[in-house]
Amino acid sequence: MSAPLQVYEPFRAGLPPLGRYWKSLWARRTFISQYSKSELREQHFDSVFGQLWLVLNPLLLSAVYFLLIVIIGGSTDSTRYGHLTASLFLFYLVSNSLTGGVKSVTAGQRLILNTAFPRIMLPISATIIALFKFLPTLLVFLVMRTIIGLPFGWEMLWAVPVFFIAILFSLGVAITISCVNVYFRDIASFLPYLTRTLLYLSPILYEASSLSPKLRAMEVFNPLFPILDSWSKAVVHSEVPATSSMLQGLAWAVGIFLVGTYFFLSREREFAVRL
Amino acid sequence: MPSVSNTNQSTQEIAVSVRNLGLTYTTAIDRRPTLKARLKSFGGKQTRTIRALDDVNLDVEYGQVLGVIGTNGAGKSSLMRVIAGILPPSQGRVEVYGSVSTLLALGVGFNPAMSGRDNVFLGGLAAGMSRDQIEEHFEEIADFSELGEAIDSPMRTYSSGMFARLAFSVAATVRPDILIVDEALSTGDAKFKEKSFNRIKELRSDDRALILVSHAMGTLREVCNDIAWLHKGKLIQRGEPNTVIDAYQEFLHVGKSAAVDEDL
Repeated sequence: MSAPLQVYEPFRAGLPPLGRYWKSLWARRTFISQYSKSELREQHFDSVFGQLWLVLNPLLLSAVYFLLIVIIGGSTDSTRYGHLTASLFLFYLVSNSLTGGVKSVTAGQRLILNTAFPRIMLPISATIIALFKFLPTLLVFLVMRTIIGLPFGWEMLWAVPVFFIAILFSLGVAITISCVNVYFRDIASFLPYLTRTLLYLSPILYEASSLSPKLRAMEVFNPLFPILDSWSKAVVHSEVPATSSMLQGLAWAVGIFLVGTYFFLSREREFAVRL
Repeated sequence: MPSVSNTNQSTQEIAVSVRNLGLTYTTAIDRRPTLKARLKSFGGKQTRTIRALDDVNLDVEYGQVLGVIGTNGAGKSSLMRVIAGILPPSQGRVEVYGSVSTLLALGVGFNPAMSGRDNVFLGGLAAGMSRDQIEEHFEEIADFSELGEAIDSPMRTYSSGMFARLAFSVAATVRPDILIVDEALSTGDAKFKEKSFNRIKELRSDDRALILVSHAMGTLREVCNDIAWLHKGKLIQRGEPNTVIDAYQEFLHVGKSAAVDEDL
């Protein structure tokens, strides 16, 4: 007689066997890509332009800021416009990941109550969806920065590690907030204010270097500050970002990812009774 | 592959073994959802502990078609979810020897904004099937559900009958070692009922275990070779279908009539 394929016993708080969890998650990677594709298609299901909106959105957004800064503001400084759009696009990666992630578990109720699968797939999908929305904006930005004549240089390659830090950070916050929302549903209502505050506290509408030293102290508490600052340095100014900023951003991203994942994995087995 | 630790030859064809299974969970209750009550109870909501399953012992063997009956709230669905690995038990141990179809009645359609096709794929992928496996079965699922072109429209536009037909088609087309069908037998019109009934009969085989949760006693009498009766989380009786169903119907103080037999 063969050994049982599955054994279910009362679980103690703590992590599930990670090797098996990872295997089961890896086996379902197609779910994540399929889910993201279907979700993106569904979001624009009834619109005329359909998935073209993925490119239209960033185009229109940058057009609005062009109107605001260059036409109304009369600024001739193309760096300022470039900085704003580049930072805003990366910021949307994080904030889309947050807004998509917050309800990913609670909205997946039907699936969770009827199918056994690694629940972490749901917030991961939310981040992948945010990533799919981000990639076209990158293209729009590259075309735009050529038009407004920002300098090109090999230093721009620093954007690659910054980008990965931002992805890890987005993943971390999506996992964390999806789990928090199971126990504290009010978080979904707080979220718009949270992201709005984050937007103003981060160097998006202004440059990090233009802040007074006193205000710059808040940098320590805002994980997005070093990430966005490094991003702008690399893709807008074509400069090497400060090592300290990069390390600070990386530490935040790894920290939030690990804490959030631990929290999620040790709790997810009881999600089915909490929904 | 014989393993040293498992030398119990008498239970060779066992599919699911449930030992001393208990399941409790707490739900928050809101007696009077007023602002005052909310402020008073801030931080600590009133909770109620529910004992959904209480010391249940149950073995299912391959070749068995087990019907699970009981009144509403008897713990039938909870038991199915524990066997499928969705809910962790609070006490006891569940061993499953084979692949379980975890597509219970409502597993499909988790996102009503997406099309039936997308939902079938997502449900299957989440359950651990590969895309090829689902593609292989998809035509059969679509045909069996008789949805036609509706398979590509959002599921929010489906009638409840269409919804149930699709769910049943998925569960009955994927051929797992252990199939759990929860409350999906008595859905749809008479024609589809007949069809799903026949499909269940087809699915009976020596190398498969079927567990059917249903209130359609007539159907259960005909397809099952074993019945388990749950009441308030406890296993009351287990055995030959007619005996257990008769006892159950007597317990409910309803006579034997055609109407009762079909939908209880």
